[in-house]
Amino acid sequence: MIVALVILLLLLAALGAPLFALIAAIALIGFTAGGQSGTAVAIEFYRLADMPALIAIPLFTLAGYLLAESEAPRRLVRLTNALFGWLPGGLAIVSVCACTLFTAFTGATGVTLVALGAVLYPALRQAQYPERFSLGLLTASGSLGLLLVPSMPLILYGVVAQQFHTTPPVAIDALFKAGLLPCLLMIVVLSIYSAWIARSLPRPARSSGREVWAAVKDAAWELPLPFVILAGIYSGRLAASEAAAATALYVLIVTVLIRREIKLPELPRVIREAMLLVGAILIVLGFSLALTNWLIDGDVPERLFGIMKAGIDSKIGFLLLLNAFLLVFGMLLEGFPAIIILVPLVLPVALHYGVDPIHLGIIFLANLQIGIFLPPVGMNIFIASARFGRPATSIIRASLPFYAILLMCVLIITYWPQLSLVFVR
Amino acid sequence: MKSAGGLEWLRMIENWLLAVLVLILVALSGAQIVLRIFFETGLSWADPFSRGLVLWTGMLGALAAVRDDKHIALDVLQRFLSPPAQRIARVVTLGFAALLCAAMAWYSLGLVGIDYAEGLQTSGGRFTAALRACFAESILPVGFALMALRFALRMFAPPAHAPMLLHHSETVSE
Repeated sequence: MIVALVILLLLLAALGAPLFALIAAIALIGFTAGGQSGTAVAIEFYRLADMPALIAIPLFTLAGYLLAESEAPRRLVRLTNALFGWLPGGLAIVSVCACTLFTAFTGATGVTLVALGAVLYPALRQAQYPERFSLGLLTASGSLGLLLVPSMPLILYGVVAQQFHTTPPVAIDALFKAGLLPCLLMIVVLSIYSAWIARSLPRPARSSGREVWAAVKDAAWELPLPFVILAGIYSGRLAASEAAAATALYVLIVTVLIRREIKLPELPRVIREAMLLVGAILIVLGFSLALTNWLIDGDVPERLFGIMKAGIDSKIGFLLLLNAFLLVFGMLLEGFPAIIILVPLVLPVALHYGVDPIHLGIIFLANLQIGIFLPPVGMNIFIASARFGRPATSIIRASLPFYAILLMCVLIITYWPQLSLVFVR
Repeated sequence: MKSAGGLEWLRMIENWLLAVLVLILVALSGAQIVLRIFFETGLSWADPFSRGLVLWTGMLGALAAVRDDKHIALDVLQRFLSPPAQRIARVVTLGFAALLCAAMAWYSLGLVGIDYAEGLQTSGGRFTAALRACFAESILPVGFALMALRFALRMFAPPAHAPMLLHHSETVSE
């Protein structure tokens, strides 16, 4: 009976059934088998309305989508280009930085690829960067920024991890602080590689002071944003949810009322796009709250640890296994659902092995970031393939050096906890 | 974006409700910060109200995601199916989702019933108090029922899009 159910659910999953329905089915079956009514699942789901940190998700997502729809991406590229364009590999570095900031705000890596790819790919090719390098760089950069304030997956990790009342607690702002250096590491390493690739390319002249000033003025309304968020959160004056509210309100006023790049009649459409993503994530989260409770009642994480302890006795061994595991699941599930489903299982086990819950969050996101464009089925391969009009196999081949570089970064991040924890503990 | 013609008005209500609720959420959260930082005060009802708004916007967003086929799913195998097999897979998986949503609509109706009865009891039979006790969660049965309906309608409709792109999806030319 159980075997038949498992096979049925796996088959439905493989055929493309919505993830939330699969989780709901498992939760309903589990609760009913445990002698509770299905109403208990509804009660667990309703806990969504009882999580203060959750407010940050719709607010930051809205801000990100509004910025994406406005001319902000173009201004961002212009400004970074004026500042860094003259460096060796300058335009590539511009691409990496712009993608990072953009993904941090939208939380959706595919959106970055689509929105910024359109601007950056022709620019890179025009500056005579090799085609293969350009494709790989943009595909890889698309998911960069998941570790940076105010990335939505990072908030999601915090929300899920807070269910476990760990000591020390997993505060969202602690995660934001922890992500800073690891994200910087990836940007720097990618920039060095880019500079090396571009060493023989003709270098554009340094932008005139006038162009820099014009670019700064052009982006004057957006410029304060990262600083307000960073300063607000790092100084402890604003909680993550408040920073989200301030950002959403500010961006709404700037894009709709001041710059008017999003016309008022278009606003409901943009809001709908953003909330569609939020809704798709929250509904998975709601059912996984029920599932998590059921798993904990059944001592599943403890049993999992029991099984693993037999084979793996060191923290290093555990982390190595975790890396491999997360890469595969990040590829299959993309970022959001992988966090929602895996954190409840992995976090209790990781705590037994002595992994800091904040560090674990950074490891999670760093791995998922690669998983998202990992062959054969990472989502961003197909998005890049559609966006740049190249077959998926070319995208994969172009991304090969970038897998190696980012994998190296992930290993450093995993085995050097201080890099993540220096600002936190 | 095609939709069942008779349900067009429902779509309009849904979109506008979503936009209005989100704007209220933004304005209210913004006001709370201003009140806290500059006046060291705050509205006591605002926090639970905002959390309720998150649930409402989340459910409406999830409902909208059904129409655009944007619910998170593994689409690994689908790529390898023949078109007729894809159509069958769509009927089966969306039918499954419709069933689950219908079940959840029923169970969350039970939850609303429990809290309504409890609110009635603790307030000594005042209808408004009972209504307030179960108002936030009333989106659950409504939302799940509408999702069940929409999943059922979309079982036989063609898929809406390629996955997870914003609306501009033209290819870049060099």
